[in-house]
Amino acid sequence: MIEEISLDVDDNGLMEISRKLGIGLNLEEMRKVREYFKSEGRNPRDIELQAIGQAWSEHCSYKSSKPVLKKFIFGIKAKQNLLVIEEDAGVVDFNKNYAYVVALESHNHPSAIEPYGGAATGIGGILRDVVCMGAKPIALVDPLFFGDLNFDYKKLPKGVKHPKFIQSGVIAGIRDYGNRVGVPTVAGVTYYDESYLTNCLVNVGCVGIVKKNRIIRSRITKKNGKKGDVFILLGGRTGRDGIHGVTFASTELKEKSEKEDRSAVQVGNPIIKEPLMHVCLEAVEKNLVKAMKDLGGGGLSCCADEMSYPEFGAVINLETVLLKEKDMKPWEIWISESQERMMMLVDKKNVDKVIEICDLWDIEYSIVGELTDDRRIKVYYHGEKIVDMDIKFLVEPPVYNRPYTIKEIKEHEKEIKEPVYEETILKLLSSPNIRSKAFVIQQYDHEVGARTITKPLQGKIESLTHSDSVVLKPLPEDYRGIAIATDSNPSLMKISPYWGAKNIIDEVCRKIVSSGAIPHSFADCLNFGNPEKPERMGEFYEACRGLGEFAKALGVPFVSGNVSFYNESEYYSVIPTPVILGIGIIDDIRKSITTDFKRNGDLIYLIGDIKREMAGSEYYKLYGYNFGYIPKPDPEELKNKIKSILEARKLIKACHDVGAGGLAVTVCEMMIGGNVGASIELSKIDMRTDYKLFSESSCFVCEVRERDSEKFEKIMKKHNLRFYRIGRVSGNKLKITDKEKSIILPLHEIKEAFL
Amino acid sequence: MIAILRMEGTNNEEDIYNAFAALKYPVEMVHLKQFTGEAKKELEKSIFDYDGIMIPGGFSAGDYIRAGAIFGARLKKISKELKEFVREGRIIGGICNGFQVLTEAGLLPGIDDVIVSKPQISLGVNDSGRFECRHIFLKHENKCFFTEKYEKNEILQVPIAHAEGKFITSKRILEKLKENGQIIFRYVNRNGEYAGYPFNPNGSMENIAGISNPEGNVFGMMPHPERVFYPYLHQEKKKTGDGRRFFESIIEYLRRRI
Repeated sequence: MIEEISLDVDDNGLMEISRKLGIGLNLEEMRKVREYFKSEGRNPRDIELQAIGQAWSEHCSYKSSKPVLKKFIFGIKAKQNLLVIEEDAGVVDFNKNYAYVVALESHNHPSAIEPYGGAATGIGGILRDVVCMGAKPIALVDPLFFGDLNFDYKKLPKGVKHPKFIQSGVIAGIRDYGNRVGVPTVAGVTYYDESYLTNCLVNVGCVGIVKKNRIIRSRITKKNGKKGDVFILLGGRTGRDGIHGVTFASTELKEKSEKEDRSAVQVGNPIIKEPLMHVCLEAVEKNLVKAMKDLGGGGLSCCADEMSYPEFGAVINLETVLLKEKDMKPWEIWISESQERMMMLVDKKNVDKVIEICDLWDIEYSIVGELTDDRRIKVYYHGEKIVDMDIKFLVEPPVYNRPYTIKEIKEHEKEIKEPVYEETILKLLSSPNIRSKAFVIQQYDHEVGARTITKPLQGKIESLTHSDSVVLKPLPEDYRGIAIATDSNPSLMKISPYWGAKNIIDEVCRKIVSSGAIPHSFADCLNFGNPEKPERMGEFYEACRGLGEFAKALGVPFVSGNVSFYNESEYYSVIPTPVILGIGIIDDIRKSITTDFKRNGDLIYLIGDIKREMAGSEYYKLYGYNFGYIPKPDPEELKNKIKSILEARKLIKACHDVGAGGLAVTVCEMMIGGNVGASIELSKIDMRTDYKLFSESSCFVCEVRERDSEKFEKIMKKHNLRFYRIGRVSGNKLKITDKEKSIILPLHEIKEAFL
Repeated sequence: MIAILRMEGTNNEEDIYNAFAALKYPVEMVHLKQFTGEAKKELEKSIFDYDGIMIPGGFSAGDYIRAGAIFGARLKKISKELKEFVREGRIIGGICNGFQVLTEAGLLPGIDDVIVSKPQISLGVNDSGRFECRHIFLKHENKCFFTEKYEKNEILQVPIAHAEGKFITSKRILEKLKENGQIIFRYVNRNGEYAGYPFNPNGSMENIAGISNPEGNVFGMMPHPERVFYPYLHQEKKKTGDGRRFFESIIEYLRRRI
């Protein structure tokens, strides 16, 4: 069952061992391992090498990204930060007694191989990240990126699944898992681009709520643990599903991944997860839990190490672990990533109380080990010691300052011919990245929990439009709310990772502000290609620089995040795709704003400076123009906009940020939600009509009652904001005039194109 | 006192709990095992400790076979007690998955007997073939003890969230339901007309969304009144939450009964 492996071999021999065990360590790392065991005066066992392989994988260790993250992303100070970056999820101040918890993560590789299971277990994992902080999950989000749905089947590279198949599997996986555990899925992105053909991106995020005096840490320190405390493993059984999940996620996908790596995808079971969450939260509420961590990447091995480090050690008896199948090898048990498992550290005297809760919910458990004070991880199997290592060696792997190159960006604009406007607007509305996502959104239960105040689809019941963000009311006793928005901007990221990243932060903030909330924190999931290639590392560096600079200038912290590298194959590398989950706070949910027009006759304002910044716009993409100036949002200007929108909040009847498709699409979406038309007059803005209508500059569109217009304009002027009164809510068509030009589209045609 | 019955996979219990709690009516969560003698002695409960039982929505036991079938089967262990419970005029309500449980357990439609051994109603897979979550319009066509505070023919806005909600029954039962005034809610459009998909979200026979037993003290519906208890939970802004009077009706009946 246990094999001793001699490392007394040459370099080729070392690499052969790494390959044979499937642990993904490179030569330099293997040499370090050899050195370590020399100092221990013995040869390693297979299980120990497996443990190192998991702990040192890119996925677990962030060995390529850490230096860059430290430089740009970490360390934005804010008074709301309670426990940020260092745990499985970020904990942020909500009100006097409560904090909210945020986590965002990728499940890209497994979803490319097995879309349904990959996406479902992504939800499972992110829920555990929130629950292990002691928090009740209150919302899920799921930004998704797929290849072109109309991609020619005949041209599909071998071993690659068609985007249609992947999309339907992923959505079903999220739906069947999320709906079953009873946590509403309230926001997300569905974006299509050829670069995601071989590597779809499936990001999953979760927001939870926790009493401040019940926040649980995963890290055990002298404050929350003592020698002799007991580790209880509870929930699902351990099986052969999810072996080498993290090492698989730390390499490029290949044709043979389908066959070889399927066992790296876990199998989810929401009907263990649902009661498991009850058990965990009840035990937390009864103050029985000293520390808690979910079993994710790297399985038991990473969990036990990371919990105990740096002040303690652990002894684990592997034969006590409940198994799905009998003849598992010890190393398989030790690193399996089977789902629905949680590890609790409990005082000996409280073990029975925890067991009682497990019994009521029919949740299986086993007492697997104890906390020690020798800072070593020791694993026994039927009395035989099979792991005995320094935890520090495992948890602090080598860190790489990878070489990077930064692509120079040349911006230029060319003259283009003016389009047929009606046709262009309808084409934009029906384009895959703009058109209604109701088909996806309505398959997710976004109402469970009865706390979804503004909905992911807003407006009239028979005529729904997209929201900017969703407002939740986490606590029955408090009107204070949380606004949730997700965003990325692949088309700009493709042109400039630095400016693309800044635009993402700008837009996610605008989406939060549109609901009447103030931006409060971010979680980031950074999806990139192979970091060993300097060009990819350069994209990562530039994206982090953009995100960090903009967020720092706003004073809004990153509280949690995840890096997913190696999203590439021999055919494609994904567009650098940082996904941001933005959280806003609204003092009273009854004051939240939605995107749908409310009343005939109201005035429509454009807030912000619309510019000829067409690079990456949906309009240019539609006609294949690959030039143009990049939108360059300015954080100081954004702060002004935020201030003025929030100050004018009670005067604003509808608000929508100008996003993909520009002003034209924004107004159409507001019309659809209100089931009403609009007449727009643009001659006061000095630019050609198509630039005005389709530029994606940082702006808002607001609906204001005529009687409030003076007050509203005064506020905008006070903050030195550029704004235009551009028209009225009226009738049942869109009517745009710009000097002699006149564009008319009936509402029903707009709806048909969008739906 | 109301018992909110739960088991693994029920997941709307808090929403219902909060509704009763907001109206200051005594309410408690009870695990099914505590009624069926499968829990530890000191946790055991009797259904007769309660005036009413509410079965919440969710995916009991995962609903991997017919929705509500496993919960319904487990409930049958206490059939005798439940029969007595209903005969005494106490209430049993089911929302969404709870409605599916009541039909699977044979507690609805309650026409031939209080409980029948084989289900007479099926809540089948939606015509659209998928789970749908959105707000819809309901018409309150007949009163029962769960809906006394609504006007007859009043139109409500309530969300649905299910994959299996297509109401199907035999011609005989359908006729009886009509005859007895057991059809409480039907799906309609904004103007109160029967209007087909998407207004009838699942293809239910005769647009049926919720029914009671002939006596009006056992009731099930697919839409979720607990999710519009407050005005600000509505898709379209309203002055009061359309779901509130559902819970007020139950409470008023129970207070009257005692």
